[in-house]
Amino acid sequence: MPPKSRQAERRPARPVTITAVVDPVAALASENLDDNLYLYDTNRIAGSSGFGTPALHSRVRKGDTLLWNVIPLECETFVALADIEIDPRIAEPTRKVYPGTDIVFWTAEVKQDLTEPALYRLSFLLGTVGTPFTPNARPALAGAAGEGKERR
Amino acid sequence: MAQQHGIIVLFDVENALKERTLAGNTYWFDNMKLFGSAGVGTEKLVTIVPGTYFSDGSQATEQVLNWLPAALGAIPPTVPRNYLAEQERADDRRTLDELASLDAEGGVEEADVKRLQRRVGKRARPGTGRGLTEGKLLDVTGRTTGSAAAYNYPAPVITDITGQAVVEKIMYPAQYGSPDMIYDGWYWAATVDTSRPGVYPYTMHVQLHELVEQGGEMVWRSVDLTCESSLKIISDPKRNGFTGAGLGELPLPAVPAAG
Repeated sequence: MPPKSRQAERRPARPVTITAVVDPVAALASENLDDNLYLYDTNRIAGSSGFGTPALHSRVRKGDTLLWNVIPLECETFVALADIEIDPRIAEPTRKVYPGTDIVFWTAEVKQDLTEPALYRLSFLLGTVGTPFTPNARPALAGAAGEGKERR
Repeated sequence: MAQQHGIIVLFDVENALKERTLAGNTYWFDNMKLFGSAGVGTEKLVTIVPGTYFSDGSQATEQVLNWLPAALGAIPPTVPRNYLAEQERADDRRTLDELASLDAEGGVEEADVKRLQRRVGKRARPGTGRGLTEGKLLDVTGRTTGSAAAYNYPAPVITDITGQAVVEKIMYPAQYGSPDMIYDGWYWAATVDTSRPGVYPYTMHVQLHELVEQGGEMVWRSVDLTCESSLKIISDPKRNGFTGAGLGELPLPAVPAAG
């Protein structure tokens, strides 16, 4: 059996998925995406915070693969992630679709360990409105502060 | 009848399987926040059910609820219904095409064969789980994977809805088949008796699936867990949704305003 430390260092085979749950009808009716956007990721155990808010802080490490996708609360109403704006020194997200569909997801690799949270911006297309909606609150990628100190 | 409620339950499947509990790994949503649902996006959702009565006191509406489960960190439920099977077939076709195009005369590179072997992927048997068919493992981006650690989690399956709200006959849940293209044609729905205002908790029984190796095969093993939510039933006089006043004709002008 390998020692525990080696197991901990092994990179998970799945990407860190950041899922945006959007209530498109409420967002369109109230013209307020902030109150109708709920962000989650698969790294809660690693220390991600802000679950269920538009200001999710995802705990990531250099080399992690990130994947952003969307779950609409009303499957009849169109929602898609239109853009991700983030410092290209940290990550350069690319837009992809699930093979054989037009359902969009974005992926990126984390280029560096972060000492401070790196805020980024998500934009969404809702319904038939041509202009993307961008929430005011901003999510962030955050490093493991404690681990960073230990490495010095 | 008012619009139907959609209640979406998002499960952090990886952590739920690790911890063998849905506590802390479940996020509930409904589309009634504007009408007073509380705790949307958290583990403690209280779904508002606005009941109404006529001026003579008799019950004016019932309410229909629909529950839809989803897995966090998986291919989203918005992909077409037969997506996994389509991907499996498309991948087999590509692999066969490539196999046919390997040039035997010039000798086949071992690296090419290895690459194709990886592409073939692994299959997993359904085991005892519900709603699963034998199929290839796909990863979370929809591609075949041979890695038992990278597979896409199958959609969680609701197996029952019980609890006080059911025992006291506040709601009548059941599983229905439907031509819905998104949720595999099966969904749980209930009608609610809105004549008895109050808060009524209920329990959802959910089956998750994990992949285990059994006798040299990959097999889906079902894991049954439960989580809880509540309905808050209120009752108001029936009124006109446009005017906020009593029932009757809409206050439309006989002649449209000029301009």
